[in-house]
Amino acid sequence: MASEVLAKPQMRGLLARRLRIHMVGAFLVSLGVAALYKFAVAEPRKKAYADFYKNYSPEKDFEEMKKAGIFRSIK
Amino acid sequence: MAAPAQLGLQNAASPIMEELIAFHDHALMIIFLISSLVLYIISLMLTTKLTHTSTMNAQEIEMIWTILPAMILIMIALPSLRILYMTDEFNKPYLTLKAIGHQWYWSYEYSDYEDLAFDSYIMPTYFLEPGEFRLLEVDNRTTLPMEADIRVLISSQDVLHSWAVPSLGVKTDAIPGRLNQAMVASMRPGLYYGQCSEICGSNHSFMPIVLEFIYFQDFEVWASYLYIV
Repeated sequence: MASEVLAKPQMRGLLARRLRIHMVGAFLVSLGVAALYKFAVAEPRKKAYADFYKNYSPEKDFEEMKKAGIFRSIK
Repeated sequence: MAAPAQLGLQNAASPIMEELIAFHDHALMIIFLISSLVLYIISLMLTTKLTHTSTMNAQEIEMIWTILPAMILIMIALPSLRILYMTDEFNKPYLTLKAIGHQWYWSYEYSDYEDLAFDSYIMPTYFLEPGEFRLLEVDNRTTLPMEADIRVLISSQDVLHSWAVPSLGVKTDAIPGRLNQAMVASMRPGLYYGQCSEICGSNHSFMPIVLEFIYFQDFEVWASYLYIV
C-alpha cells in the first residue's frame, strides 16, 4: 500500500509572518481608533460650537437671563 | 460650572477656550492612537508561543520607532505653541481688573474706576437661595463687560493661590510679591464659576470665583453705582 506523503509543514518564519500580518493590523486598529475619536467626538464638537453660534443672539440670551433674575448687578 | 459627574472640559465661553478644547481633542486622539497600538502589541506578545531569540540588529525598526514618535511630537507641539502664543496676545484691553488672593477670599480692584474695590467671600451653605450652587457662590460677584478684552492682574497678599475660571480658559497663579497678567474675554453674557487652584491652607476649597458678564452699558451703570445685592 503506497503511503501518502503529507505536505511539508511550514517550519520557518512563523513569527515573522505573524509579525508582518499583525504590524499592519496594529497600525490599522490604532489609526482606526484615532479616526473614530476624531470623527465621532472632535469634529461633532466643533460643529456643535459652530451651530450654536450660527444663530446665537447675545441680546436674547441676556434678556432671558435678566428676566430669570440671574444677574445681581442689574436691577 | 461643571455638571454633576462631568468628566470633560466645561463649555467654552471665550475663543481661547474653544481653541484649547480643540487642542485637547487633538492631543487625546493621539493618546488613544498610541495607547491602542501599545495595547494591541502587548496582547500580541501575550498570545503566542513563538519566540525569536537571536536578533542581532534591527536598524529598520529602530529608524521607524524613532522617526514616527518625533513626527507625532511635532504634530502635538505645533498647535500647542500656536495656542500658547495666542494666550499671550494682549490687544488693548478695555478694562483692567486686579484679583488679589487672600486666606481665604479674593479681593477685586477696578482701578480704572474711582474707589471700586470689594472682597469676595464664599457664600456659606446656610445662606444659599434655592437654585444656587453649594461651595461656588460668593457674596460679591465680579461684574465684567462681555465681548471685551479684559486684563486681569493677579497677585496674592499672603500665600500662593491660583485664579482659575475653566470656561474662560484661565488659570493663573497668584504669587505674593509678583504680578501675573491674564486676558479674559467672554463672548456670552452669564455667570462663570471658578475655584482657587493652588493649595493655600485649610479653606483652599472654599474661596470660589464668580464672574458676572453683562453688557458694557449695564456694566458702566453698575460701576457708577456699585449695585451689590
